[in-house]
This record gives sequence, structure tokens and C-alpha cells, in this order.
Amino acid sequence: MTAESARWPAGAISRRHLRSFDGGVGIECEVQCPDRYAFFEPSGTARHAIPRGAGLSYSAASFGADAVSVEIGAFDRILAFEPAVPIVEVEAGITLGALFRFLAAHRLYLPVQPGHGAISIGGCIAADVHGKNQARDGTFINQVEAIRLFHPDHGMVELSRTQNPDVFHATCGGYGLTGVIVVARLRPRPMTGDAVDITTHIVPDALEGARLLRHLARESDFVYSWHDFTRTGRGFGRGYVVAARFVTTDTASRGSSTSMKVPKLSADSPRVPPISALNRWTMPLLNFAYFQAQRRHSSPRRSTLPQSMFPVQGSESYFRLFGPAGFHEYQVILPHDGFAEFLAGVRREIARKGIAVALASAKLFVGAHDLLRFSGEGICFALNIPRNQRSADFLAALDQMTIGLGGRPNIIKDSRLPRSVLEASFPECDRFRGIVQRWDPSRRFRSELSSRLGL
Amino acid sequence: MTTLIVGASAGVGRALARALAARSHHLTLVARDRRDLDAEAANLRHSFGATVECIAADAASPESLLQALGARLSDGEPIRNLFLPLGISRTDDDGTLSPAAAVPLLNVNLGSVMAVVDTCLPAMMAAGAGNIVGFGSIAAIRGRRTNIVYSAAKRGLESYFESLRHRTATSGVRTQFYRLGYVATQQSFGKKLLLPMARPEWIAEQVVRHLDQDRGLRHLPAFWGIAGALLPLLPWSIYRRLEF
Repeated sequence: MTAESARWPAGAISRRHLRSFDGGVGIECEVQCPDRYAFFEPSGTARHAIPRGAGLSYSAASFGADAVSVEIGAFDRILAFEPAVPIVEVEAGITLGALFRFLAAHRLYLPVQPGHGAISIGGCIAADVHGKNQARDGTFINQVEAIRLFHPDHGMVELSRTQNPDVFHATCGGYGLTGVIVVARLRPRPMTGDAVDITTHIVPDALEGARLLRHLARESDFVYSWHDFTRTGRGFGRGYVVAARFVTTDTASRGSSTSMKVPKLSADSPRVPPISALNRWTMPLLNFAYFQAQRRHSSPRRSTLPQSMFPVQGSESYFRLFGPAGFHEYQVILPHDGFAEFLAGVRREIARKGIAVALASAKLFVGAHDLLRFSGEGICFALNIPRNQRSADFLAALDQMTIGLGGRPNIIKDSRLPRSVLEASFPECDRFRGIVQRWDPSRRFRSELSSRLGL
Repeated sequence: MTTLIVGASAGVGRALARALAARSHHLTLVARDRRDLDAEAANLRHSFGATVECIAADAASPESLLQALGARLSDGEPIRNLFLPLGISRTDDDGTLSPAAAVPLLNVNLGSVMAVVDTCLPAMMAAGAGNIVGFGSIAAIRGRRTNIVYSAAKRGLESYFESLRHRTATSGVRTQFYRLGYVATQQSFGKKLLLPMARPEWIAEQVVRHLDQDRGLRHLPAFWGIAGALLPLLPWSIYRRLEF
């Protein structure tokens, strides 16, 4: 305990160099790590701040040059649990992995969650992340019943679809700009099995992959595709669609869920090779080997729930292989009728700019778009490429294609995304700005992301 | 097994609560803020199925702390284990603190610990069993120009636990005292320190693992024992020049 001052956020401050997960932004920042509720007291003299969960956002959403990053990791508790409903109330710093272990013991799970258990629930809400079958489960907001949000001007405020609904909707996918999410009430779903059967469908290209995604999304618990974009000629984009379903096995499989260990994942990994190990020469080999390995797997094959829910766990070194410069993830939702044209454009730009694609993947998205959330109808398509001199031009070309085709980029995945692209592709950008401005006229919460995008 | 933790809402106290709940202790948690206690208790109940009771009380005043604890100590199940991981420091504790600021420091770090132990000790002695675990600081090894009142209180605490160990030596009550090095809590957050910080969870595991053992003063992490042995031997002519 240290002496307190009246100005929010009060308490001990650490200066740290914070980095976006893709390595694109690094800033010397002030950080606070509160561990008591006394921290969340209204104050008329607040500094600029921004909440920070696990610090794993690809873009710099949880830090900024003139904002104190408020780490909420100490608020990681389960506050209430009503298995009959089912509802679980948690503090926002709890990780997906910890909550998964708890829920699995009660035969429940969150259908929408990203691929690594180290990510915080607060981060999932603030970025309104999607899971492995958006077409069936929607985005994270779909399983959020209510939020307790702290803002120094308002104190602790309850948000839901009926209480402060505008602020609720602007907080889910609001990138921390409405305040600190302290508590969330979530609706888990009963598990319909304790293991997963994974079926792999080989596809000749990404267009065929998209067709199969549309077909498989309705009947699968998880479904996504992977493609090799390092190949030339007819093999470009060959890959597979993964469709998975829960199956009931035995209690041994159940045990793997309740005892799941979450490997460390950090934007500041200490063991990064001095140069990128993923380049134009190694990438085709790695993609080829990965494709062949998947082809050799029996199909369907059985997997544990942790392996299927958190497929990135165990592959943390993948991100380190990009070297100290990091990487780009370009993720967009494209209208179905524009996907073929987009793929052709991507292929053209890859060839023209000599881009090495480490990963290409697609998912099916359905539903309406709202505010700044990564949602809407179409094919969600993602590329991972090394960050280098050519990558900026390549992504600028993709931006123009995305705008031209009526697509929408994922704000949380791209630390480079320019304001002009946001404004051209998010028609509700000004509505979001208006809600936040009315809620917080003095705009106490800001980050590098909000400054860059003018939010 | 009923266990009382005073200072249970954060840092080592909170980690101890989790480690002990995982080992099926029935817990009574004491801390200043009811909100922190309720959140921790709820988590322990849901995560470990633990039986948890909470008492909100401020250790800055031993009298009000004992008053809040009164009903629990007189009517509840006898306390078998007593953990006292409470502490407070101030950045302006440089010899210029007013009595109004210094007294709460002395109370949280020393006075309230003694008050709780003195209240619980007769029943534990009568039962001939139990553990009393105190937590000091490496700041008590040798006084310096910062944390002046804090260090004095922690030094006093060491003396108190030394006496307590002697008092309980033949009673079946075990007294343990840990001189903690840097621990990753709010107290050390943001400070540039010479040596690495230990996680509260690690400290808690070490403490719980050695419960029921007769241990005198121990350093955690153990390498602080070197500083504990050498720093008092450093000649004054050298020590007075040190900036730390």
C-alpha cells in the first residue's frame, strides 16, 4: 500500500516500453496496476488513461504516449455463478484460459473466444472479438449480458442492452475508450461434448474454400480455412477447410479441460531472432510442409477441447519467427460478391511487390454491422506477412481494394490502419464518436489507436 | 481447519488465501475494504468451494480492528492458523512524518499485528496447536534514510516474533516469521530495484508448504539471507555512503 493522491488514476506508476503485439508500435508509457476497488473512485481531476488487459492486441489499443495504461490483471476473480441460467459474473482481468477451466468443470463454455487462453475477458469485450464460427455464434458481445464500467466522472456504472444501451454497445468493440470494464456478466453455453472431432477438407483455392465455409458453417461448432499463398500457378491458395464438432468421449478428456495450462504469450518476447526467419525463401517450404502435414492427418481426427478452443497455444514461437520488426495481420470482411476480385487483387499485389505470406485464412461472417465492431456479412479473410519495406505499399494497395469492394478491416488487428481507411469503410464511425463524446465530453480515455484513427 | 488472514485483499495475503483455500482451509479474511473482501471471498467459494467469512476492518487502529474481530474471535470456531501479511509504507517516510501520519504506519506494521496475536494466543496455547505466521521486510535488516518509521516497525515486529517463538516453544503452537525481499505488489510497483521481485503466489506457496514446521526467521526468497547476514557487518564508514 502506498500513499494515495486524489487525482485519478492514483497510485504507483511504472514507466514501461509497451509494444503492440504485431510489433508495429512501441511507446514509452506510464502504467498502473491497481489491485483494490478503492482505485475505482470518481474523481474530478483525472488524467488521460486507457485500460489494458493482457496487452495482446495487435494494434496499440491499450497504451498511448499521453495516457496512463491501467492494467486490470489483478481483477481476475469469479464473482457469481448461476449454473442453471447459466450466467457467470467475472472481473474483466480474468483470462479466457482461467474462465475456460472453471466453466469446463461445470460442462459449460464460451462459444466465442479467440485462439489463446492468455487473453483477458476485458480485452475480448473491448475489441468485440470473434471466435471460430462467427456465422453461428456471432461476436463476443452476443455472450455479454451486462458490464460494470468505471469512468472517473461517472463512477461505477451498469451497462446492458436495457441500461445505458448506447454506452453498452459502444463499450463492446469500443477499444477501451468509454472507460475501464471492471466486471462482466457472461452467458456461457452447455458443452455438447468433451472432445472435438476435426474434419479436414482439402480445397484447390480460397474461393472454393469460401464456398465450403458457407456450406459447413451451419453444421459445425468451429469452421475456418487455411491457404498457401506462397505458391504460384494453379496451386495458389490451395489449402483446407477445418470443420469441427463436439463429441462425447470419456472423463479423461474432460480432465484435460479443467487442468489446461496456458503458455505465456507476450508482445515483448525476450527470445526473438535478430532477423525474420519467415521470408520469401523459407515461407514456401514451411507452407508446403504444413499443408502436407495436415493432409497426412487422418480425417476426422479427435482433439481435446483445449487444443481446439485455443489453437494458438503451443505455437507462440510462430510470432517470434517474424523477428524484431514484427509482422502485419490484415484481416477484412469482404462482401461475398467481391471476394473473388479481392483474391485476384491480392495475388496480383503479392507478385508485384514480392510479398511473402506466412498465413492466409478465412471464416464465414453473417449478421449486421454496427459501430466500430468487426462484424457484418461476408467472408472474413486474414493474411500474416512480415513487416518490412515492401509491406506498407502492399497493405496500402489492399486498403484501396477493401474500400472499393465495400469491405471492412479489423481495427484491433492492424496497428497501421490509417484514419482515412477507417472512415471510408466504417459508415457508423461518426455515430461511435458521438456516443463517446456525449458519455465523456472531456475524453479522458485515449490510446495510440484512438489518436491515429481520430476516435 | 480455521484460518485467519489479516491483510487478505491483495498481494501476499490474497495469494495466501488462494493457496489455503485450495488446501480446504476454512478462511476468515480481514481487510480494510469490504468490496475487495467480497470479491475475493466469492472467487474462493466458486473456484475452490471454500468456506469464507469476511471482516472489514482498518488495521490503522488496533482498537477498531479488535472490535471488528471481537464477535468472530469470541463466538466462532477457534482460530488454528493465524497469518499476518499486512503492511503499509509511504514514499514520504523520510524522518519528517507527523505523528498523525506515523502512528497508522506503526499500527499497521506492528501494533495491530501484536493486538491480534495477543488476542488469539491464549486459545491457541490452550489448544496446544496452531500456527502464527508473521511477515517482515528486508528493510528491517539495517535502518536507512528512507522508510524510516516502516523499518522501525518491522524491526520491532522481528523482535516481537522472536519473543513469541520463545513463548510458544513448548506449547505446540508454531511461530514462523518471514523476512520478505522484493515482492511484486503495489508497494514495489514501478520501483527500480537491484534484485528481482518474487511473485506473491510463489511466496504463498513457500509459506504454506512449510506450515506446521518450527521455523524461526527465514528470508524469502532465500538469497536475501546473504544481505541479511552481510549488511549488518558493513562498517559504518561505508554504509553511510550507500544510496538505496
